[in-house]
Amino acid sequence: MAKAFGIVTAASNRYVVEGMQEYRPISSFSFAGRYRLVDFPISNFSNSGIDRIQVYISGNPRSLVEHLGTGRQYNINSKRGKLQLLFHDEGNINRLYNTDIAAFMDSIDLIERTREEYVIITSSNMVFREDFSALLDQHIKSEADISLLYHRVDNACDAFRGCSVLNLNRQKGVLGIEMNMGNAKDRNIFMDTFVMKKALFVELIKKAAKTSSMYHLSRFVSSEAETYDIRGIQHKGYFAAITDLKSYYDANLSLIDSETARSLFDGKWLIYTQTTDSCPTQYFEGASVKKSMVSNGCHIEGTIENSVIGRGVKVGKGAVIRNSVVLAYAQIGKDVVIENQVIDKWARVIHANEVISDADKPGYVRRDDTL
Amino acid sequence: MSQSNMLAMILAGGRGSRLLDLTNKVAKPAVSFGGKYRIIDFPLSNCANSGIDVVGVLTQYESVVLNSYVAAGGRWGLDTKDSGVFVLPPREKADEGFNVYRGTADAISQNIDFIDSYNPDYLLILSGDHIYKMDYDDMLNYHKAQNAELTVAVRPVPWKEASRFGIMNTDGNGTITEFQEKPKEPKSNLASMGIYIFTWKTLKKVLLADMKNPDSSHDFGNDVIPEFLNTGKKMVAYKFEGYWKDVGTIDSLWEANMDLLGKRSELNMDDPSWKIYTSDASTLPQLIGPDALIDRAYITQGCIVFGEVHHSVLFTESQIGEGAVVTDSVLMPGAIVEAGAKVTRALVADGVRIGKGAVVGSADSENITLVAKRVKGEE
Repeated sequence: MAKAFGIVTAASNRYVVEGMQEYRPISSFSFAGRYRLVDFPISNFSNSGIDRIQVYISGNPRSLVEHLGTGRQYNINSKRGKLQLLFHDEGNINRLYNTDIAAFMDSIDLIERTREEYVIITSSNMVFREDFSALLDQHIKSEADISLLYHRVDNACDAFRGCSVLNLNRQKGVLGIEMNMGNAKDRNIFMDTFVMKKALFVELIKKAAKTSSMYHLSRFVSSEAETYDIRGIQHKGYFAAITDLKSYYDANLSLIDSETARSLFDGKWLIYTQTTDSCPTQYFEGASVKKSMVSNGCHIEGTIENSVIGRGVKVGKGAVIRNSVVLAYAQIGKDVVIENQVIDKWARVIHANEVISDADKPGYVRRDDTL
Repeated sequence: MSQSNMLAMILAGGRGSRLLDLTNKVAKPAVSFGGKYRIIDFPLSNCANSGIDVVGVLTQYESVVLNSYVAAGGRWGLDTKDSGVFVLPPREKADEGFNVYRGTADAISQNIDFIDSYNPDYLLILSGDHIYKMDYDDMLNYHKAQNAELTVAVRPVPWKEASRFGIMNTDGNGTITEFQEKPKEPKSNLASMGIYIFTWKTLKKVLLADMKNPDSSHDFGNDVIPEFLNTGKKMVAYKFEGYWKDVGTIDSLWEANMDLLGKRSELNMDDPSWKIYTSDASTLPQLIGPDALIDRAYITQGCIVFGEVHHSVLFTESQIGEGAVVTDSVLMPGAIVEAGAKVTRALVADGVRIGKGAVVGSADSENITLVAKRVKGEE
């Protein structure tokens, strides 16, 4: 039996992605054409031999529940393993009540009943590959109370603005977890990923809930930095944090570079997702596709450059899509020009001649909308 | 969902020797087709879409890949409590010494116990090596409405080719009056598609007698259908007009793949109401490089294209390097065309690597070039 169980938290209670999030929680955002964000943490757990996983859902559960199903696609043993979907939403009373601690408290009995000694908590808006069993071993060996996973970046002034950063001492001891205010380039971006004993986790949740309804786990852990031995563990490899529309757009487009794509999609560390049994993509006469990632089931008669195209997208003759993320089943009509956009699922851009936004501030076309 | 009283048996024992090296290690039904599929996905998906719950797959030749492939019935949604895909290789039985299927009919006879355990009213017999979409439930309704003991699916073929097929001659009501295997002078152009619906009680009686007949070749075409005719059992022809292809040779396999490139492909692979299901590959989508040129192609997930593709079909995880040119060709799963290589009018088998700058196939070859072994390129 694995020594740890896994938790995937609902990023939706800590981050807001304009437009997209009105229709689904961040966990079920489409990513890299054929995936959903939640596929990455779950595949990481599954590939690490951790097959008892709790997925917390906050807001609009439909698409996520449909996508996760029984979890069979994640290679989780259907008898021994378990994928639990735990729904928590405080509604509209006040967003400040909608914390991960409140969600954990809702399911505290389920957490306490797990048999594993350790827990690994990660978040669905953080895209990376990580062998969690190696991470757990490293945590146990260090004898720390809590280990936090971070990624060192040199562009924290502009990017990762919604993220937290770890304030580390020389021995990688965590002094605190702070918001990234964008006042330094070099930062240790906290990947919202914790490793600790389950008993400590339960203790922290209860203590946090008792202290203030406003606490999120990371803030509470930060406030306890002097009480516990908390260490940072550095992650290397592909890392993206989806915290707003721009970071969502950038993360998708980062994958059109084949080297970057291969750093996330290693042939041995598979990322699983729900198949839709769509047929291959048809490229017709007049199609011109360069530097892009294209999913199955598309009909392409136009031009696509520097873009990520979801399943079943139709691109008409003479249409041009540049630097854009087009989600599944969208339709870009004849001669329409799309630049720097996120086009949501089922949208039809057929009447507009062009939809062009600034590269620094990508535009968004609503789900199921007709332009 | 339990709904059908018809059980399907797919004859998947064929060697497919005209597919040359492609079937050295896999049986013909397991050969890859159409970017992400295997040939047997078509009858299996047709069964699933027609509401047939239980499918037996009769295997014989080189069946390790085929057996493990079809055993995962979940791929076609056939894994509920009432449904399943069952691999049925020949068995050694206590009372008889059989461990080969002596013919197509014998393959069914040896599995009467399996069929009876489901107590079906009707038995659908299919072949595991044809590409087509068909609603077997419509055919069953026709069988019932006609009060037939046997319904044979037929399709009109060009008259000049009729002598290559098993031809069904019918009267004005569609009742089959005569069956001719590859007739020199065909009287009809309705060719049997090797798809039969039998009323099970009737077939079982005929099969039990056939098993004991020392003169029988235990074949549906040679023995069972003539027996039905001779004993006056009602047989009707069910006309099918859609796309159908027997991909028995390298040329026809290539051609059927090329058929998918047309704007209105008759097979209509992306009809959401009749999907073809297959194994799910955990690969990234298609990655198209900065200098790629894609001019009429059918490409599936996991492909990486840096070079040029003209009028070609790329299967799962095939790759085309920078400056390579692939024209009028089929790259099977995992085939790799390295930088600068040229592939023309060729079918590159699974996992085969065409080295840097190598040239295979030619635009004016009579037949399609099958590349089944690594082609060395420049060092």
